Amino acid sequence: MSRVAAVELDFFAMGKENKSSPSKPKFLNRQRSFRDIQSAISKINPELLKSVIASGSAAKKTTPENGNQFSNKSFPVPCTPKQEQPSFTALPLYSPLPRPSSEILPETAPLTIFYNGTVAVFNVPRDKAENILKLAEKGISMTSAELMTDLKTDQQQLFETLDEDLPIARRKSLQRFLEKRKGRLTSVSPYVFNAGRP
Amino acid sequence: MNNLNCSGCGVGGGMSDVVLECVMPYIHDPRDRDAVSLVCRRWYELDAITRRHVTIALCYSTSPDRLQRRFKHLESLKMKGKPRAAMFFNLIPEDWGGFVTPWVNEIAESFNCLKSLHFRRMIVKDSDLELLASSRGRVLEVLKLDKCSGFSTDGLSHIGRSCRQLRTLFLEESGIAEKDGDWLHELATNNTVLQTLNFYMTDLTKVRLEDLELLAKNCRSLVSLKISDFELLELVGFFRSASAIEEFCGGSFNEPDQPGKYAAVIFPPKLCRLGLTYMEKNVMSIVFPFASLLKKLDLLYVLLGTEDHCVLVQRCPNLEVLETRNVIGDRGLEALAQSCKRLKRLRIERGADEQEMEDVDGRVSQRGLIALAQGCLEIEYIAVYVSDITNAALEHLGAYSKNLNDFRLVLLDQEHMITDLPLDNGVRALLSGCEKLQRFGLYLRPGGLSDVGLGYIGQYSRHVRWMILGSVGESDEGLLAFSTGCPSLQKLEMRACCFTESALARAALQLTSLRYLWVHGYRETSTGHRDLLTMVRPFWNIELIPSRKVPTVNNAGQNVFDDNPAHILAYYSLAGPRTDFPDTVKPLDPAKVVAA
Repeated sequence: MSRVAAVELDFFAMGKENKSSPSKPKFLNRQRSFRDIQSAISKINPELLKSVIASGSAAKKTTPENGNQFSNKSFPVPCTPKQEQPSFTALPLYSPLPRPSSEILPETAPLTIFYNGTVAVFNVPRDKAENILKLAEKGISMTSAELMTDLKTDQQQLFETLDEDLPIARRKSLQRFLEKRKGRLTSVSPYVFNAGRP
Repeated sequence: MNNLNCSGCGVGGGMSDVVLECVMPYIHDPRDRDAVSLVCRRWYELDAITRRHVTIALCYSTSPDRLQRRFKHLESLKMKGKPRAAMFFNLIPEDWGGFVTPWVNEIAESFNCLKSLHFRRMIVKDSDLELLASSRGRVLEVLKLDKCSGFSTDGLSHIGRSCRQLRTLFLEESGIAEKDGDWLHELATNNTVLQTLNFYMTDLTKVRLEDLELLAKNCRSLVSLKISDFELLELVGFFRSASAIEEFCGGSFNEPDQPGKYAAVIFPPKLCRLGLTYMEKNVMSIVFPFASLLKKLDLLYVLLGTEDHCVLVQRCPNLEVLETRNVIGDRGLEALAQSCKRLKRLRIERGADEQEMEDVDGRVSQRGLIALAQGCLEIEYIAVYVSDITNAALEHLGAYSKNLNDFRLVLLDQEHMITDLPLDNGVRALLSGCEKLQRFGLYLRPGGLSDVGLGYIGQYSRHVRWMILGSVGESDEGLLAFSTGCPSLQKLEMRACCFTESALARAALQLTSLRYLWVHGYRETSTGHRDLLTMVRPFWNIELIPSRKVPTVNNAGQNVFDDNPAHILAYYSLAGPRTDFPDTVKPLDPAKVVAA
């Protein structure tokens, strides 16, 4: 096992039951009952978890045929806590766009997920880990659409670079008005915009 | 070209020239005229003699000489220069081009019948205006310098002094160097027939009240006046004099903490198109007495909140045109949908980004659009900046807005999460439902429209002639699918897209009606624009503005340099490549690219 510091992610606050866990995650201290967790699990869209896992294990590629298995099934929870090998590889993984060979994979570190008594470790680069942590922070009730847009693919990263260079432009006349308005607020009168005015 | 005598061609006898000369002048639509001119040589000549108006969509697509040779008796000319992006800061270099000088020179010499001139986004010099005034001043009736720049109030003085037949002087959004207010004095003293004067959004501050009042006195036909900032209280006398006025925009409220004073402002009785700069909630009531007459309302430069918008629009049942910022919010759109059943044009611009500068309710989303679609069935033009959007909103527009001919939607980047993306199905529904659509704009973000959705645009936009697309599609495949459709697309603008030069070039070749392409921000290949060579062909000019650093001010108020990616501009021209490039613009020279 590598000596690089592991980022521990306790998706469903199982950490308090697992006393052997080395360090508490910083932001997942929700007290949840087992029933809460079960109901939460049933709300998880399999597609979304599939993507979370797929983005974390970018090095693993499976054939796209597996990808359709999940469209109508509910999330298959590995039910025996004693299972040593989590059967995550049975989950269909969407294969991300093939990376050009010249691209160097960013440095990865292990990401450990405790789930229902099973443990999975992925080697993820820092940005993917942050994405997964962000997802967990936001809670489980998001739609898959929202999460899909959250995950960065190669294509989107390219887009976002372009977006930073190209913010949506504003018309000159409007720009000048908004600047003049700022000036007016200080000079003409104490015009304070208050939405709560009757 | 068919050399047959025209009275012999056509079925059974044809038409005599006399009949044709009587009928021709009634044909106005340029596309009809184009068709007429292709029938035979005689019809071409008749069209050339009788054509009254020509619009040159890009001044570099032809030359003054060619225009003169074909349309000697032209009465009205409109032309455009810089790309539309010039209306935003720092996208198009100020000296990009579009000089009116060669055209004015030709007009001074040859176009004896020219009465109406409209230059849009072009560079105009005082010397051009002086020449125009001296050569055509006696006949000129309409002069529009629309988003132009490069001239000063001295040039306008020449116009004011010499153009005594001027009915319309339009200067809106032009960049004018202001030396004094004499130009208005010249206009007011020398003209008695002026109907429209517009120097809105020009920042001219030295205009004198007595000249405005003189204008009102001398020009009894003055119907439309749009001015720069000018204290409204001073215009009380003017409004009393200018009793024929139907449109007024501009002014200013410099004493907003004394709203009672503004009760003294009595507006002219026929006023039905209005926009009052810096109008606040506490003086808004001055428009209530005639609000039910209002057909057009400009709230782009007011200081109102969402609730104020609701109150105001509810009093305007006859409103046909509304322009405002997104402070109107979804609630305002719902009020509009309820009260303004005659609404035809709606423009919602982007307000300030800072939260404290605009109403918290000041966001437009699918909620407002759905209400609008269902409530305002006569809508023809919608331009809107939204904070959130769904497919359902676009589907509603496709279902209800059957008169829509111009639709532009920009998705702001304030919200991280958008309710419903991609918009593939909504876009398809809108394009197939709105059969009259001719102009279409869609500016989204990564994930906003997939390659399939982009293909839908190609498939379902049968009559669309102009498009601006920003941040759409996922890959070159999307663009290529798009470009197999769009049968009517003449002008395409694209921004922040992920397509390669190779795909852009191939798309340009595939779009059958394309005559103008502008792209800013694309996937630059590192081979010195070599891939653009794919679209090299006769009469197709290709120009580049290479990527450069542009000075700007960031959010912290610091002067910084922004990276400005490369622009590609390509267009058909009968005049060959330009000869007036500034340093920032380079023609694509195939020989040089290949050699590199």
